Amino acid sequence: MNASFISSANNALAILGAPPTFGEPLPVGQLYFPTWDAYERAFRELFARQYYTNQGPLADRLEVLLAERMKVKHAICVTNATIGLSMVADALGIEGSVVMPSFTFVASAQAMVWSKLRPAFCDIDPQTHHMNLEQLDRLLAQGASAVMAVNLWGDTYDMPALEEVARRHGVPLFFDSAHGFGCAFKGKPLGGFGKAEVFSFHATKVMSTGEGGCITTDDDDFAERLRNIRSSYGVRAQIKVYRTANGRMSEAQAAIGLLNLENIDDIIERNGRLHQCYRDGLQSLPGLTVRVPTHADKSNWQYLILEVSPDEFGLSRDQLHAVLQKEGVIARRYFNPGTHRCPPFDRISPTLLQETDLLCDRVLQLPLGAKTDEAIVGRIVGLLQTAHHFAARIRTTLQEADRGRESMR
Amino acid sequence: MKRASKQALGDLHLHGGPKLFEIPISTSNLVRPDVERFLAYSRQFYDAGQYTNNGPLVQELERRLAAFHQVSHCVSFSNGFWALVLAIRCLALPSKTEAVMPSLTYRRLGDVVNWAGLVPRFCEVDERTLAISAETAAPHLGSKTALIIGVHPIVNCCDAAGLEHLAQTHSIPLLFDGVESVFETLGGRKIGSFGQAEVFSLHASKLINGFEGGYLTTNDADLAERLSAMRGFSFSGPDRVLELGTNAKLNEMHAAMALASLDDLEAQVDRNHERYRIYQRHLAGLDGIRLLTFDESEQTSYKNIVVELTEAWPLSRAQTVRHLNAEGILARAYYSPPLHSKPTDYPVIAGPMPLTERLAERYLLLPCGHLTSLGDIEAVVDFLRFLKIHSQAILEADA
Repeated sequence: MNASFISSANNALAILGAPPTFGEPLPVGQLYFPTWDAYERAFRELFARQYYTNQGPLADRLEVLLAERMKVKHAICVTNATIGLSMVADALGIEGSVVMPSFTFVASAQAMVWSKLRPAFCDIDPQTHHMNLEQLDRLLAQGASAVMAVNLWGDTYDMPALEEVARRHGVPLFFDSAHGFGCAFKGKPLGGFGKAEVFSFHATKVMSTGEGGCITTDDDDFAERLRNIRSSYGVRAQIKVYRTANGRMSEAQAAIGLLNLENIDDIIERNGRLHQCYRDGLQSLPGLTVRVPTHADKSNWQYLILEVSPDEFGLSRDQLHAVLQKEGVIARRYFNPGTHRCPPFDRISPTLLQETDLLCDRVLQLPLGAKTDEAIVGRIVGLLQTAHHFAARIRTTLQEADRGRESMR
Repeated sequence: MKRASKQALGDLHLHGGPKLFEIPISTSNLVRPDVERFLAYSRQFYDAGQYTNNGPLVQELERRLAAFHQVSHCVSFSNGFWALVLAIRCLALPSKTEAVMPSLTYRRLGDVVNWAGLVPRFCEVDERTLAISAETAAPHLGSKTALIIGVHPIVNCCDAAGLEHLAQTHSIPLLFDGVESVFETLGGRKIGSFGQAEVFSLHASKLINGFEGGYLTTNDADLAERLSAMRGFSFSGPDRVLELGTNAKLNEMHAAMALASLDDLEAQVDRNHERYRIYQRHLAGLDGIRLLTFDESEQTSYKNIVVELTEAWPLSRAQTVRHLNAEGILARAYYSPPLHSKPTDYPVIAGPMPLTERLAERYLLLPCGHLTSLGDIEAVVDFLRFLKIHSQAILEADA
């Protein structure tokens, strides 16, 4: 451990009385954005063109470039990934339940409910953070209409193994790849797996349109159904669909997307460097494990995910979260609570989600993106080392604060 | 632009002549606010480094719109469609299934109701307003009614006060779709404050251009709070989810655009007024086409141009639209076909609707908005006059 980071003073951390490390809170997401000059130029052109939405030239261009990059036939831009997931579920034309992990952002499950489907939650494999394929197999045997797999953290599933399970039960497989833009499995980019994949271009993601996303598929008919669900604009053939959804992406979103896409390789490389910085800094610190891809051979490195082992580190995930919050580091507890513990899903009779529950209590996302650099990562690593060093004192402080709150009641 | 006027049948584009408008003109507003203002607003979110998730411009826009509509709360959304879905879901009476709504309305409104988990129950409209009224809604209220959706028509407003009275009498929630009535007043009261809530669009084709977007106005603080959460996955704080939600957040670029459009609104209404006056003046002498006039005793945006083809008009509406469109005049049939006559795979409830069916055959939207010049309007009316004068020959040739 690099002792130079650790102050021996009693008030080494904000939680122990020191001023916070970051006066301006440090955000957690990617938050890459075009330079002001590029933004201004793009929007002056847009204003001159007077084409604002309804699948304009920028949205068309973005779709072509995205499809090329992901080596997939169709990329269909949408207002955001959640609506995109609902559109995919609608386009599948299925009823009943869809097997999916609970260890995912709550929107994955919400999107299914809007499309009149019931999530059937599958537990995860703690090694991969992805669905336990044996349990998936058992759940599908009980009867389900589809599988939604979530490619988490810039990693991918073991694709052939997953595809084999879905094929055995004859159900469609699609992906929530909200985290997955830029990742690849055995050289094949995400985007071309399953019936369809849905990507998020939210500002916190590696590829940003502010809000936004896209659906990818190699199936011509399915793509056309999706375009018809999105809106009448941008369809290539009119197809009768159950209902439309207004999932359009505006020219403004597409303009941001095109600019960000120009820099995406640099962004991913920069993410990779910062990720490596964290790993180098934390490798000798007990009780903290930095998540690295298990199956992706190319990652976007957009998430710095820590697993906290309280016994070894000295603090629980929640205690560490409190320490960082006081320092102005916005760390996120993912996924807390687990989707199966959020209404309305807490009323669904749970299958055994033991590993999900364990992991929901241990995972912490740290800042990595446009607002972080090597020096900031260094300071965060220093904070983590200091927190470990003073773990006992921090525990006492937090317990006293808890008791104080109790007695106030 | 100087245009060769049509002299003979052969000048019609469908009969081999050149198009009247090489660049088509449409019924979409497509108002272009001042780019410098848009950039100045953009600078605020850019400097704050916040691009969405209830950013500084979304908050400013919501404050401005609440003040504009003279209500206590405004909640913005990614578009009007999802604003309606979420609002219906919040307002619908629990365990009730039917949304009473007009059939002569926005073509996607049935889909909206289905996403919200209800069954559209279609009602007739009032012939004078072309909109739902207390009289047309009342026969459809019953033990399954979850809410009433009052939709303001494209010109002027529906009898919102009458609907409020009906809804109150029956203790049924009332939501307004005010998409076409952003600027209007009714009895001097701003549209936006009627019923439990009203929903508006910020789509580029509407009065306030926010690229894409929507918003809801209400005086109900609990409803506003619930919807603010629901549009962001129903999160209340970073680690707590209250109920089913989705992503229907408005981003900061769109909010910047809406704010710049809002700054231009009074001036835009003046420009709309000028366009409307030209239509009014030139159509006055054209028997067979009746312009729907704005109620100028109220505030109005003068944006939409709707005409009725009367008995004196010699061509069918379909034929008229075909010729207009062929010339690059993207006139559109008014809410046609009505929703009850379009087959859907989801359930709807519709009885006989003779009035709606008759009205759905008679009205036409003519080009308006930012890209339609005063000269364009004169050319459109001249062309309509040409169609009328040559109607006999057109009827024979088209047959």
